[in-house]
Amino acid sequence: MKKLMSIITVWCCAFGLLAAELPAGLQWETNNEDPIFASPEAKRGGVFNMMMTSFPLTFRTVGPDSNGGFRSFVLENQLGLYSMHPDTDRPIPALATHWAFGDDHKTMYFKLNPRARWSDGQPVTADDFLFALEFMRSEVIRAPWYNNYYTEEIVDITKYDEHTISVTAGSPKSRQELLNTVGLTPQPRHYYEMSDDWVRKYNWAVVPVTGAYVIDEVKRGRLIGFKRLDDWWGNELTYYQHRFNVDEIRLTVVRDLNIAYRHFLRGEVDTFGLVLPEWWHDKTDTPEYRNGLINRIWFYNDIQQGPQGIHLNTSHPRLRDIRVRQGIAHAINMQRMLDTILRGDYERMHTFGTGYGDFIDYDIRAREFDITKARALFADAGYDRQGPGGILMNGEGDRLSLALTYTTQEHTSRLAILREEARKAGLDLQLNLVDGATGFKVMLEKNHEAAWLGWGGGGLYPQYWEFFHSVNADKPQTNNLFNISDPLLDQLVESYRITFELQDKAKISRQIQRRVDELAIFIPGYQVPYTREAYWRYVKLPDSKGTKQSPSLFWPMEGYPYSTGGLFWIDTKLQDELKAGGKQYESVLEVVETWRRKES
Amino acid sequence: MASLISELTRKKLRRFRAIKRGYYAFCLFALMVLLALCAELWANNRALLVKYEGRIYFPTYGAVITGDTFGLGYRYETNYRELKKVLAERPDDWVLLPPVPWSPYEQDYSTGSFPPNAPSLESRHFLGTDNSGRDILARLVYGFRTAVGFAFIALTASYTIGVIIGCLMGFLGGKFDLIFQRFIEIWSQVPFLYVIMILVSLTQPNFTLFVAINVLFGWMGITWYMRTLTYKEKARDYILAARAQGAGLLRIIVHHILPNTLVMIVTLAPFTVVANISLLTALDYLGFGLAPPTPSWGELLRQGVNNLDAPWIVASVVTAVSLVLITVSFIGEAIREAFDPKHFSRYE
Repeated sequence: MKKLMSIITVWCCAFGLLAAELPAGLQWETNNEDPIFASPEAKRGGVFNMMMTSFPLTFRTVGPDSNGGFRSFVLENQLGLYSMHPDTDRPIPALATHWAFGDDHKTMYFKLNPRARWSDGQPVTADDFLFALEFMRSEVIRAPWYNNYYTEEIVDITKYDEHTISVTAGSPKSRQELLNTVGLTPQPRHYYEMSDDWVRKYNWAVVPVTGAYVIDEVKRGRLIGFKRLDDWWGNELTYYQHRFNVDEIRLTVVRDLNIAYRHFLRGEVDTFGLVLPEWWHDKTDTPEYRNGLINRIWFYNDIQQGPQGIHLNTSHPRLRDIRVRQGIAHAINMQRMLDTILRGDYERMHTFGTGYGDFIDYDIRAREFDITKARALFADAGYDRQGPGGILMNGEGDRLSLALTYTTQEHTSRLAILREEARKAGLDLQLNLVDGATGFKVMLEKNHEAAWLGWGGGGLYPQYWEFFHSVNADKPQTNNLFNISDPLLDQLVESYRITFELQDKAKISRQIQRRVDELAIFIPGYQVPYTREAYWRYVKLPDSKGTKQSPSLFWPMEGYPYSTGGLFWIDTKLQDELKAGGKQYESVLEVVETWRRKES
Repeated sequence: MASLISELTRKKLRRFRAIKRGYYAFCLFALMVLLALCAELWANNRALLVKYEGRIYFPTYGAVITGDTFGLGYRYETNYRELKKVLAERPDDWVLLPPVPWSPYEQDYSTGSFPPNAPSLESRHFLGTDNSGRDILARLVYGFRTAVGFAFIALTASYTIGVIIGCLMGFLGGKFDLIFQRFIEIWSQVPFLYVIMILVSLTQPNFTLFVAINVLFGWMGITWYMRTLTYKEKARDYILAARAQGAGLLRIIVHHILPNTLVMIVTLAPFTVVANISLLTALDYLGFGLAPPTPSWGELLRQGVNNLDAPWIVASVVTAVSLVLITVSFIGEAIREAFDPKHFSRYE
């Protein structure tokens, strides 16, 4: 009987193989020619100390509570089929050595690296990718967004042999866009058991990964330690040599940033992000900086910046009038906020998102602060008499006020400046702080008059449909915080959605941006086109310091979607010398503008 | 209410005055409240008096006077510090600014360096500025006004409710007493702080809401005392006499029981004030307080903690908080001592 079974199995497999056959004429590509961005001088070794403000609620990357800050440590310690070169925007080999594009504009074919291993030593095979799809579609992971994405956007994965697969997207796309969609990461088939209690069972599971680090120490509520795999399979990959250099990463919980900063000054944390102006300017005048033990770096990158600013809700009676909206835009003194509390360190944003190349119309300038223009527009709209406190009123006695909902305590002092300046134009800007998640909920339910928030950037090109299409207006839980329904905008957004060629798409994108500017529904805020960090002298960076797409210079994992992390290393000899004390050096402050975007 | 200023009460008051520490604390506190009430007159960006082209203006109270009025060419509120400089060159016109010429909301970035700025006589920031460039003294004063207003309004409201219910529980007894006892026991188990945090994250926090929540959970403490005292008083002969003469429930409580239990209310009140001020400060500190940018001590305290290298912030607010809490505690202590019948008899 056993024999019979095995014969049947062999036959099935054989037929299975026959059933899926690679199309003829595939052009296999790879990429080992682009410049290397890691430094050959990097030395392996040392312990890298980091901090987090709270302990994660789970180690899972999908399912309830998984969307926390720790997630990237797991997710980005996982290699995908390919990654993106951070300077050239081209794919680079990771789990796949070669790839090819199908004729249907939907499918990509991949040859897997036979040397790829999970961190527990098992080989990575085509089955792990098939399983990834099954995994993401499974109900037991309790992640409807992923269930849907891996059904609608990734429709199929086919196995041709142990090391050859294809991935099919849900709709035809240009090559660049396809690359943006089908770069899967596998899931370890041999590890998971998809039972009903999956969420609970794997909550604290240390799942095998394809990246260079494994979690080897967990003190619940206090610390997570990672260890570098010495014989990591990726050590020899062209773009992964000389990367992920530290032997251990220790991630300690410090609940308060001020206290964490003290730890940093004592050398118990090795690097510290100093993007906030008051930190960068006011907290860096300590002996550690003066004696050159801690260096500072101001590194301009060229990352797409999501829209940030004030979203006006046009379904509010007062804001229905375009003249009021335009007036408000002129009454908001963003420049003063940038010059004063932000010390001129941040830059004004002018459009709905920026940094997307041709997709942005750089001729659009955000409305400048102009009391006369603002008052003239308000007067046109009927707000022409001075009420109590100098706030304008209209004939019906309606005060010109605008409640601005925002979610971050730290922004209060920034917005307080806008408030004081708006009074000069006769506008009463009320600050409505609603904490964190609840605040965002208030906005999604469209209960705001105006919302101050920034959206994540990234992606190949800006997204417009969810923000501007009328089907999303006046409905809760959609991103159309403007509640705008404008026929022209609808038409543009629709054709943007179906346009395939990136160039045409970019043209429509610029039209959309102009329309958004005309409608005065979005008052652009600021952008931060750089990262600023302080690091102990013994932490070393490559000569280029970072890449065009580096969000941070001291990110120890892979980075997504661009492969940017793990470039730094620790000079353990210097570390010992510094820790022994008594050393003094010239203090170092570097400004790296290699990738600084020149705006017209 | 003639009984309120009876000979006995007068003696108690005299005794209170004799306790120097408490008496001076009371005077100091009264002065602070008075100063805070007329804060607009001495810590404000509006001038006290302006003489311009033969006319005298009083900008402090009343409608906004725009810059046009004084020939400054803008239609928003006059910047009087600027006006003072402009008018300095004209012999007949002048501006009288308050000693602290800053409102608690104005951000001063004029000094060239970035805030927080250290105290300076020249810029008239006597306690320096916070990290948005706002005057700390002005924010302290207006913050104090809010805190004290909150404390007293909440105190009055919750004591009114608490005393009435407590007296009724004691006087009526029986089922009424039993039901209310159980109700209070359950109600006081509701975690007050969580309720505030939840409400604040759901709605726009404002002064009325805070008072309402505080009263909602703050009236229970006094009921127990009032209940016990009323039980005690009820059994006394004079109550029996009043009853025999046909006095109604209300009359007995208001005219007979209340004056004799007033000691308790007066003794506890100052400590409740302390508790209320601390509560509002703590909530503001945690970010669950009044909507920004309302001046508040808790918010200043948080800024101070985040900017320890600007010691004037934390020093000012800690001194202010300590001063107020200590004065009120001293007052409370003195009242308790003055109203203590045992002590009293021994003293005489």
